[in-house]
Amino acid sequence: MKRGSACVVALVVAALSIVALAARVGEPAPNFTATDSNGKAHTLSSYRGKFVVLEWHNQGCPYTKKHYDSGNMERLQKEWTQKGVIWLTVISSAPGTQGYVTGEQENDYMRRMNAAPTAALLDPTGDLGHLYGAKTTPHMFIINPDGVLIYDGAIDDKPTPDQADIPTSTNYVSMALKEAMSGKSVSTPTSRPYGCSVKYAH
Amino acid sequence: MRAVIALALLLAGMTASVHADERGVPIPHGTVELVSEQQSIQPGQTLLLGLHFRLEAGWHIYWINPGDSGEPPRLEWHLPAGLRAGAIEWPAPKRLPIPPLMDYGYEGDVLLPLRIENTAGMAAGKTVTLAADMKAIVCREVCIPARASLSLSLPVRAERPHEWAETAALFSAARKALPKPTPEGWRATAKDLGDSFELTLHTGRTISQAWFAPLEPEEIENATPQKTASIKAGIRLILKKSDQLLKPISRLRGVLVLPESAYLIDAPVAPRTGKAPKKGAVR
Repeated sequence: MKRGSACVVALVVAALSIVALAARVGEPAPNFTATDSNGKAHTLSSYRGKFVVLEWHNQGCPYTKKHYDSGNMERLQKEWTQKGVIWLTVISSAPGTQGYVTGEQENDYMRRMNAAPTAALLDPTGDLGHLYGAKTTPHMFIINPDGVLIYDGAIDDKPTPDQADIPTSTNYVSMALKEAMSGKSVSTPTSRPYGCSVKYAH
Repeated sequence: MRAVIALALLLAGMTASVHADERGVPIPHGTVELVSEQQSIQPGQTLLLGLHFRLEAGWHIYWINPGDSGEPPRLEWHLPAGLRAGAIEWPAPKRLPIPPLMDYGYEGDVLLPLRIENTAGMAAGKTVTLAADMKAIVCREVCIPARASLSLSLPVRAERPHEWAETAALFSAARKALPKPTPEGWRATAKDLGDSFELTLHTGRTISQAWFAPLEPEEIENATPQKTASIKAGIRLILKKSDQLLKPISRLRGVLVLPESAYLIDAPVAPRTGKAPKKGAVR
């Protein structure tokens, strides 16, 4: 009997997680546990009380390169993690596709680029990408201290691979974090994410 | 044997470069060029140009709404004083599935037409150079940025211009591929069903096959199959709303793509009845 009810609970939980599949701004962000490039597990719910940024990443994508080669992404990572934000880079490229890396390769890359996220999550199955509906690299999500998704979209308002566009662009992630941290509502809670398609397994 | 292969490769390489020199500027996996429908500019008359892409099999560029990834080609013009370049007139796009995503764009050989206006001040007898810096992204599974400096010189002549025989077929195909204005007598309406839009087109005839390409990004889930139902004298489509669409929209604008033709659609959206729409404000 006990085993039976545990089964029912498991089924209900499974059903719930299917219902909550889409990440939608204004609603609780879907919880997840994922492993980083050092083998350490990160669970979203354990960061309750802090802002969390999710950054979809593919080091071979020209749009990702725009923000890394210019130092823009690394600057954002340093600025916001220093202010207590948990910044999780997520790599959903399937093995054999552009951007797929082992933990060691990702650590080398982060050292070389001076990248400073809290962690880089490896998602070669694409499960985390699908859970959030991540479409492009980059594609940015922000979760507030209550665990609610408050931003889903592009990193900024200039959808090009040109570094020269960065100084004149409005960074939606910084804007949303600033607004949310000062108790305001996020003025641009969604935007069209721009970049390369996430290289999911087919 | 090895020498033969080397020679064959060398010849292939030479052919490719000659090809590129004659027919457009090389970009990753293709070429691009500015072409004119006419051999000269007549002062006061509009000139039709085309941005002509030729891409290797499997590679694509994007529509004005690229869908889930990518970006449309852009032009920065350097024109003689007075001349004005119109926006690209976008042919009906093709659906480019990259599961679980969906992009909209063009493969192979495509001409994007645009008009040069305000030619009244051009003096006959001169030659003018129309130049533009082109930026695009060329994609297959991966994407490669493409840039090209393009130019085209044409004489200004008082008489009516002749058409180029070489580009006539290209421009005529491009005209055919442009979405037509909504025909007289058609009626397009949409309804907000909460998690989807119902788009109904009364066209005067039964349409069995069509899909809708939205002009604005993030209104519908591009990859969700569009359910269609033939209705008496028209067609009805169910379009799943984008998760990113937080506010109600008042109009649904886009292109209805039929197997042989395409039409511009601008449908008023009737708000959701019953329950109040979900609040968009986020704190």
